[in-house]
Amino acid sequence: MVSKRFVAKRLLLLVPVLFGVATVVFAILHLSPGDPAVAIAGQRASQAFVEQVRTDLGLNDPLWQQYLRFLGDVATFDFGQSYQIQRGTPVSQILADRLPITIELAVLGQLAGLLFGLPLGILSAVKQDTLTDHLTRIGALSGISIPIYWSGPLLILLFAQFLGILPTSGRIGSAHFIDAVTGFILVDTLLAGDLPAFRSAFRHLLLPIVVLGIYQMALISRMMRSSMIEVIRQDYMRTARAKGQGEKITTMKHGLRNAFIPVITIIGIQFGALLGGAVLTETVFEINGIGTLLVSAINQSDYPVVQATVLVFAVMYTLVNLLVDVTYSVLDPRIEQ
Amino acid sequence: MSTETQTPDVERGIVERLRASPFLSELLSNRLAVLGLTLIGGVFAVAIYARFAYDLGAITSTQFGTNPTEAAPSAQYWFGTDGQARDIFPRVLYGAWYAMLYGTVTVAASTVLGVGLGIIAAYYGDLTDNVIMRTMDVLLSFPSLLLALALVTIFPDDLGLWRAVAALTLVYTPRFARVVRGAALKVLEDEYIEATRALGATDPRLLVRHVLPNCLAPITVQSTLNFGLAIIDIAALSFLGFGASPGEPTWGMMLSNGVEYGLFSGAWWWSFFPGLLLALTVLGFNLLGDGMRDALDPRMREAID
Repeated sequence: MVSKRFVAKRLLLLVPVLFGVATVVFAILHLSPGDPAVAIAGQRASQAFVEQVRTDLGLNDPLWQQYLRFLGDVATFDFGQSYQIQRGTPVSQILADRLPITIELAVLGQLAGLLFGLPLGILSAVKQDTLTDHLTRIGALSGISIPIYWSGPLLILLFAQFLGILPTSGRIGSAHFIDAVTGFILVDTLLAGDLPAFRSAFRHLLLPIVVLGIYQMALISRMMRSSMIEVIRQDYMRTARAKGQGEKITTMKHGLRNAFIPVITIIGIQFGALLGGAVLTETVFEINGIGTLLVSAINQSDYPVVQATVLVFAVMYTLVNLLVDVTYSVLDPRIEQ
Repeated sequence: MSTETQTPDVERGIVERLRASPFLSELLSNRLAVLGLTLIGGVFAVAIYARFAYDLGAITSTQFGTNPTEAAPSAQYWFGTDGQARDIFPRVLYGAWYAMLYGTVTVAASTVLGVGLGIIAAYYGDLTDNVIMRTMDVLLSFPSLLLALALVTIFPDDLGLWRAVAALTLVYTPRFARVVRGAALKVLEDEYIEATRALGATDPRLLVRHVLPNCLAPITVQSTLNFGLAIIDIAALSFLGFGASPGEPTWGMMLSNGVEYGLFSGAWWWSFFPGLLLALTVLGFNLLGDGMRDALDPRMREAID
């Protein structure tokens, strides 16, 4: 079991990392050549008005004051108001609306990756150096080499344009109106008891999940294969076989659990790639998550939104890795030392 | 170093010398790695060919009147034409040049920076090590593509795709620093380092002549794997609208235009061919990188993710 001390230590280590992350975000925004005051006031505003906006925003204060104020705002989840995208709306509100969309996509993509990646990896390891193994490995390597912004359009072309059996973009058919309760569209449609809407939402999500899942599947099956090959050679596996246990049970009971541990670490490390993939997937399928939010915020110089979105992405990544560490210590108590 | 290298190499043929190196012979006996090497070689040849065979201005400018718009692939236009009536075939070939150029610079720059920081951190330890590595940790806490997106905004617009190169260099540097620091720490424990120091070698000489050469294996693998990633990420940034200027024959830009304007008008070839070349190139680097990792000393494997 996890000791409270271990979790407390990991939580404590989180503080300097988050502090550093906030500092980097602050630095990036201040190094950007654009002027937030001009972005708010508009290109044609008078010099005096721009200056007024600048004073209001506190941009004339010494840098250290701005920095401290920024840290204070971040600590209280106050990210200010959007300049452009939804002018005047608190950024935290925009994020609350859009974050679930990205999380839903990322979680489903990850699950799809696990669902197909784990069995493939095990199969590949058990049948090491056979044709099955070679095909799986080449498939996995292709999976991590094909960019999402190519596989996505290809699938749209095939399933939406050519076969016409799946929608091309968006989250749900225009005929359905669903109240956002949780923000997760599959959950919300079920809560509303609207099965046709659920079906529509699922059909919209299918291609994005496949595109995002292919990459995860490829990563996971590769890691699972090499981890399983190591484990199969271990003494305790031989012992299990020697005591007369069937090959399948041995593999599943003793092999799987031990081989899965390094895979969890990879899932944590690669969660960043999953989020990057989600941004691209959202762009290809025109899904309004925080990925497309970030891209349009950068394009429109909406600094508060850029700041908050990048922070949220980094925090999600860090928290997932914390979770991975804790899970790891549950599965393998030796790690605490 | 094996004793092999101490026997005179001059009289032996190149093939024999390659066989003498366990790493290379292992690598060359791996069929998938050789396939990767072939793919990379092919793309490299295409890149050089396109750079000198085509006039950049001619394949960048619109060709209305000269060619039909959005013509399907045919004997005349192998990869079809795009919405600006440009022949896609020479543009895709020229894209190989850009991919190799920007990819090489990104990987080279982040390797040099990362190796420098990693070796310095390992050698000086204490405060230096902490400052460098904690900074690297913070940079590693961002999802890489997202950090690159944010960093791109720092650099002025007129740098074009070099903005993406600069941003990705900063994003990749920590990975190299981490790998190199780990490898360098192992090397620094060896006795010959102590001996060299006793002989009065200066710090820079010790690091460059003795520590660095013994860290080359993991560095090379990391660079190779990152090369494929760099090409994918550079194209991703221009796909998202950061970097390449319109009309520029980079794979990311062609894909972006092809998806935006060509996908729903049925001109699938517009985005299909640039994507295909991109995927094959990346596959080449991944195959080679994998093969290199397998050919390496197993103890080194854990140093590279």
